[in-house]
Amino acid sequence: METIINVSHLKKTYMKRKQKEVITAVDDISFQIGKGEIVGLLGPNGAGKTTTIKMICGLLKPDQGVITINGINNAKHRLKALQHISAVLEGNRNLYWRLTVRENLEYFAGNRGQSKKAVTNRIESLLNTFRLKDKEHELVNRLSRGMQQKLAIAVAMLANTDVILLDEPTLGLDVETSYEVRTILKEIVEKEQCTIIISSHDMDVIQSVCERTIIINNGKMITNERVDRLLTLFEVRAYTVTLGQPLTEAQQMAIESAFSSYDYITNQIKPMINIELPSPEHIYQLFDILKQEQTPVESIDRNTINFEEIFMKIVKEGYNHGNHTSVSSELA
Amino acid sequence: MAIIHLFQANLRKQAIELKRYAPNTIAMVLTVYIIFMAIFAGIKMIGNPVTQGVAVQHTMVNYIFWYLAMIIVNGVGYEIITETTRGTFEQLGMSPSGIWRILTVRLLADSILHSLMVIFLLYLSMITTNQWLNVDFISIIPIFLFACLSMYGLAFIIAGLTIIFKQIQAFLQIFQFVLAGLTFIALPSLPFFLFLPLTKGLSMIRAIMIEGDVLTDFTMLDFTLLIGNALIYVGVGLGFYLYCENYAMKRGLLAHY
Repeated sequence: METIINVSHLKKTYMKRKQKEVITAVDDISFQIGKGEIVGLLGPNGAGKTTTIKMICGLLKPDQGVITINGINNAKHRLKALQHISAVLEGNRNLYWRLTVRENLEYFAGNRGQSKKAVTNRIESLLNTFRLKDKEHELVNRLSRGMQQKLAIAVAMLANTDVILLDEPTLGLDVETSYEVRTILKEIVEKEQCTIIISSHDMDVIQSVCERTIIINNGKMITNERVDRLLTLFEVRAYTVTLGQPLTEAQQMAIESAFSSYDYITNQIKPMINIELPSPEHIYQLFDILKQEQTPVESIDRNTINFEEIFMKIVKEGYNHGNHTSVSSELA
Repeated sequence: MAIIHLFQANLRKQAIELKRYAPNTIAMVLTVYIIFMAIFAGIKMIGNPVTQGVAVQHTMVNYIFWYLAMIIVNGVGYEIITETTRGTFEQLGMSPSGIWRILTVRLLADSILHSLMVIFLLYLSMITTNQWLNVDFISIIPIFLFACLSMYGLAFIIAGLTIIFKQIQAFLQIFQFVLAGLTFIALPSLPFFLFLPLTKGLSMIRAIMIEGDVLTDFTMLDFTLLIGNALIYVGVGLGFYLYCENYAMKRGLLAHY
């Protein structure tokens, strides 16, 4: 796949003025994004996502490292690089509230040097895609937050750039609008064939829209992996075993010593064990322990893990991109 | 062509916003006119009756240009503050046109729109005071354009400071008196002030509007000083702005409020 964004050894530090303390916001981050890819950029608050995004957008200069967009170094040829990228950084705040929907679209097109006439068809198409046609002459401050958010994305789309960066595209939206935005994003991806980078805390968006995810924590990149691969990787190891009778203390101790991650739940109708297995074969080890006391097994369910849980695990337990070889061979 | 589309888009936006904020625009024009009338009444009451006519004419020209300078120079500062607060400045920062070009076309757009208001105010003032100035557009416009250039230089300096410090409203309020000083200076009595921005251009405009001079009445030295002053200030202003923008990008201050 042709690389459209190449981030190499990116570093950014800030000086806390009062304490005279140096804060490393981004610490030696490197990744590539291919043409047409949809990548999620994740991380807890203060992880360094926004700093990374702003450096890609050319709003912030890195202390070290190089970012190229479509082969153009964005530090050396900032304006040229910006021809290939557009972004929604503050959602509905990126709009002029005293202009109408259409006026906003026309203004931002003009700001990129495009004539009103040249973008007429594109505006029509975007108004339809984003279901804003009936609101085109409405002032932005009279629109709902969801509509404003859609317009902000439409403004970014209007530029027709190779790369679109969306920071929190569903922030503050209700469930219905958030779903609508996700659906539109999927449609865009299919129709436009552009590269999209989404930074979000909404894991449903990441799971349903993105192909790959880059997770940043404490300024460092801790994961750079395909979403489906992460889902497989984490899903395969988690099981819920429903038992016909409670475990004895000896059994509990045996499970505890054999498995690093396990929960024994007794406050349900039937006792249950939530267990993570290092490999699928380890289930037999669990059966051996249950067999000792003839504990009946009523059901075994493989847990479906959502992306939010995966994210939490990665961030808390520090699942690392470097461990991939062992994990990959395990999957194979 | 891209720069023309950029200019058209910004002219349209500034005009729409003036229209949408109509009560504010009308209040602004009315305030300027009422203050002028108060000054006029003051001259009438306590001024020397012999020189009253010239005094009113001087006040009219100086006051109108002070208003224009405030709108253009301080306006860019207030605009950046507003845009960073509402979150649109980041979008300007991501435009391949570059922020400085967007600011330049906005300055041009504001100059055009507010010049129309100034012309209206000028005629309104002339009608009210019955003091008629020589509004010779052919002589005024070329000089006005260079006076505007030095004004843009100051505007870029203000823009650069705003990007870094953001909270400069207090400074802008003080700066309006600096602009008053620059527009009210009478160069014949204070010749060294010709090195300051605006002073030479406005002195020449006053000569046209009050003394009835035409372009050919000015010497080559006058034009050299006018053009030199304009180019130096716009160059220094733009250079300062670009330095500030670069500094803000390094420190993470661009669009940060």
